[in-house]
Amino acid sequence: MLKSFYSGSLELLASRIDRLPRPSLWLGHRRIATLGGAEVQGNPQGKLLGEIMNRKGKLFRLASVATLGASSLIAVSAAGSSSALAAGTPIKIGISLSLSGDFSADGIAFQQGYQLWAKDINASGGLLGHPVSLDIVSDASDPTQVTANYQKLISQDKVALTFGPYSSLLSLPAAQTVSRYGYALVEGAGGAPSVFAAKLKNLFDVSLPVANALQPFAKWIASLPKSQRPKTASYVTSNDPFTQPQIPVAQKIMKKGGIKTVYSSVFPAETTDYTPIADKVAQANAQVVVLGSVDVPTVAAFMKAFAQMHYNPKVFIASAGPDQGTQFTSAVTVKAANGMLVPSSWYGASANPLSKTMVAHFIALHGGTASQISADVAEAYSVGETIAAAVKATGGFDNAKIIKYLHSGVTIKTVQGNVKFNKLGENFSMTAYTFQWQGSNFVQVNPVKDPNSVKIVYPKPSW
Amino acid sequence: MLTKSRLVWVGLFALLALFPLVVTTPTWTSIIMFALLYMAITTSWNMFSGYSGYVALGAACFFGTGAYTVALLAKHWNVPASGDLFWLIPLGGILAMIVALPIGLIALRVRRHTFVVITIAIFFVFQLSAINASFTGGTAGLQLPFIPWSFQDFNLPFYYLAFAMVVVATLLSAWVRQTRFGLQLMAIRDDEDRALGLGVKVWAVKLSGFVMSAFVIGCAGGLYAIYQGQIYPQFVFNPLFDISVALMAFLGGFGTLAGPLLGAFVLETMQLWLTENYSSGSLYLIIFGALFLIVIIFMPQGVVVYVKDRVTKREDRERSLLAQNEVQIAGGSQ
Amino acid sequence: MSFTNLVHAVIDGILTGSVYALMATGLTLIFGVMDIINVAQGVFVILGSYLSYALSVHFGIDPFVGLLITVPTMFLVGIVVERAFIARLKGPEKTAMSILVTYAVSLVIEGVLNMVFTTNPVQINNASYINSSVHLFGMWLPYIYIFGFLLAGGFLGSIYFMLYRTRFGASVRASLADQTAAALVGIDVKKVSTICFGIGIAVTAAGGMIYGATNAFNASSSYDLISRLLTIIVLGGMGSLAGALVAGISMIILEDIVAVAWSPVWSNITFFILLVIVLSFRPQGLFGKQSARVA
Repeated sequence: MLKSFYSGSLELLASRIDRLPRPSLWLGHRRIATLGGAEVQGNPQGKLLGEIMNRKGKLFRLASVATLGASSLIAVSAAGSSSALAAGTPIKIGISLSLSGDFSADGIAFQQGYQLWAKDINASGGLLGHPVSLDIVSDASDPTQVTANYQKLISQDKVALTFGPYSSLLSLPAAQTVSRYGYALVEGAGGAPSVFAAKLKNLFDVSLPVANALQPFAKWIASLPKSQRPKTASYVTSNDPFTQPQIPVAQKIMKKGGIKTVYSSVFPAETTDYTPIADKVAQANAQVVVLGSVDVPTVAAFMKAFAQMHYNPKVFIASAGPDQGTQFTSAVTVKAANGMLVPSSWYGASANPLSKTMVAHFIALHGGTASQISADVAEAYSVGETIAAAVKATGGFDNAKIIKYLHSGVTIKTVQGNVKFNKLGENFSMTAYTFQWQGSNFVQVNPVKDPNSVKIVYPKPSW
Repeated sequence: MLTKSRLVWVGLFALLALFPLVVTTPTWTSIIMFALLYMAITTSWNMFSGYSGYVALGAACFFGTGAYTVALLAKHWNVPASGDLFWLIPLGGILAMIVALPIGLIALRVRRHTFVVITIAIFFVFQLSAINASFTGGTAGLQLPFIPWSFQDFNLPFYYLAFAMVVVATLLSAWVRQTRFGLQLMAIRDDEDRALGLGVKVWAVKLSGFVMSAFVIGCAGGLYAIYQGQIYPQFVFNPLFDISVALMAFLGGFGTLAGPLLGAFVLETMQLWLTENYSSGSLYLIIFGALFLIVIIFMPQGVVVYVKDRVTKREDRERSLLAQNEVQIAGGSQ
Repeated sequence: MSFTNLVHAVIDGILTGSVYALMATGLTLIFGVMDIINVAQGVFVILGSYLSYALSVHFGIDPFVGLLITVPTMFLVGIVVERAFIARLKGPEKTAMSILVTYAVSLVIEGVLNMVFTTNPVQINNASYINSSVHLFGMWLPYIYIFGFLLAGGFLGSIYFMLYRTRFGASVRASLADQTAAALVGIDVKKVSTICFGIGIAVTAAGGMIYGATNAFNASSSYDLISRLLTIIVLGGMGSLAGALVAGISMIILEDIVAVAWSPVWSNITFFILLVIVLSFRPQGLFGKQSARVA
């Protein structure tokens, strides 16, 4: 990364010298010299360059530039590796979030998580003694905006580190943009397989990859004693890169357990009226419904339609939505939420000691109960913790070193559990859990053998 | 052949050409690059819609077609991740033109108001097809090879390509204005039936204009795809894109030459800047909408026409004052 | 796909379609009388939904009772918007300009709604009948859809009554037929326009309440709404009230049938493909006037 940067800037330097009539010479963001003399203070290279500019001869120029480049390489790398920051200067972290538009509800929850982490880390002395300040800009859930935002954050606001945006859709353009600057992008909400298809080295997702999210649930259901095991299942999902990969994984396991697929379909992500689709699912009258949903409105619409058709599946799991805490229960009412299942890697009552501390701080700041906290908050918080660990271990804010460290197979403990990245930046060390709403409590029910799991409410109570 | 206005044109274009060499921060070069892209798109759009009066709100069809063409070709022809990708851009434009043919055949049969809505409907057909068909990658979109240029140089080739597109679109638009073809388009705008009666081959003219306008828009889509590195159907087939293009043209001056350029430049820059600096998102919607309302109410024909009117009025007034003075002097000396 | 499914799809289509037809009627009325394409109609519907939502959440008012407040409010909003922005539009480009002006208005309203209510999706939930259904014809029909149908029918009925039984209605019909002639005959076309715009927006209050009770919504739901409404009025024939009714209901029925018979993935598209097909053969829409001059 650094090599291409320097060779690129050397080329640029050479071409600039030849082309411009009266240029100022730039190396990176720093003005090295202006034609006509060394006006730049304290820059020995500037004087040299000023002389170079005044003499004609392309070859001479190129040779001088090469020497200049080499010496500045040494100088700048020397400057880069040590924290050239005075102790106590704030460290800026740049983040682009969906504060408006399609993903705004999650974006705002993410913001809460990032801000909570910043507050906590500053309370304990900051990163290597530097207080953390978050530079958050909105991308209106638009990939073009994301690219522009990270460019601005890095080149204008000069942030030292970058955190990821919300959603797989936006993580990829974000990672590509920041990788041009050699920055790492640690994020918590871009887990679709398509994000990692680009094989970027600087991209790290602290949350569980999505494809396996429904595994514990499927395993549980397929291993129920024959007399209790349901016989039929319906699989319906939105055609979204986040949900679609999850369904076949669950379907395969459940099929092996003898659960017949009586209905399977994909619906467009922008559907607004789910009644006809829900109607078909209800008509199939399966005992289990596996719903691939991306957000609360989708699940809410299905739940409502099922209630109106008096269709009561014995088991109802949705891939996203019920994990959004109070946003979910206020949209569907607590009574309807009772018995709903959702896969996630975190929940408010998690026994993880780091999580408990975070939850306590969150409630102190925002009020409410642990069950009302959205999983997004924990995802964002884990991003912060991961970077903090990397900064501490590498002793500085050098992104290249951070990337190397995160790829070194180290395990970092976060509120969501263990974080360990594979070659592509995916984290498979986290356990997939299944959660259920029981009354107004959001509890862990799978894996059954996990000490923190409570008994699952099965069958689901009628609407 | 006014040399004064020609000079102004050349000067402004020169400014745009030199901009990234002076201001090197990638943020600004990418903002202006997008502005240039929209300037090209809007000028091209205006070349048909502005001159003929058929407001086509389906420009995103061409943009998206260009983007998907480039992405699919890059994938299937295994184009390496380098400047070679840029050769695909004209192909995107050509495919957009090919696609414009059936769209035009269907849409141009109806009159102006219905035309607006049918272009919207066709646009949604495109968008929904892109989302649901498998070869387009569905909602996961398509990825293009990741070009590993460093951030310093990355924006420059795109900037100059966008600049080239603006030049091409403007020259094309200016040329059309001066030909009989352009006159025929404008005749259609003024009174289609009379034009038909006067022997204008209305159907052929409309269709050709429509297809021609698709080229640059398709190319722009291709450039966008390479720049972003991946495309999603709901973003390259974006209804807001359609409306924005129309807005920019109207703001600047619907049917004029400079209008779309000005409108696109102002609006796109403002939109990017506002979203970045007023992160609350909704605030920029309000500012945008309010600003637009103000302009529409006080300058309903667009800024360019308004300014021209004011300048012409002032010149007329000055001239008449001078004439009056001369008369007085002449009268006085008698 | 069983017969019951099909019947249910048709019944669903009639019930939901009637609400869309109501909102589309407002839109087509505005166009017919004023030559204005009000692309802010979608946002006004959402505004109506939010008003009903706010009344139900903050004052506990039943959504239907709340209509007594929201409908007149939206009527006034319509009148204000018309006086402030729409009335200024004149000239040959009036219709094209109206698209932009109403779009700008929709942006502002959307921004305000986002700031006041945030972008979190909400739904009107506070009445018992919203989530229960009745068993009819061997299937469960949600009460809210039936009530919505009745409400839409009621509003449409009153609009028709107004049009055909009152003098004002006669003025409206005259303006619908030919504005210049109406003005020549002595009808105050400006006043008629303003009131029609108000009516067009007032019906969005009713449509919005039903929409808000059956869908989770936020300010950006307006985009999908307006694309459907525009498609409906064009299919029915711009300016034709009967057209809006027939087109609204039949399009939704068709969409539901496709979702049930084939796949939900393609049901959205049928909406627009249908429009393209019909317009290829009948450019003026189902009930539209065949125009000799520019439509």
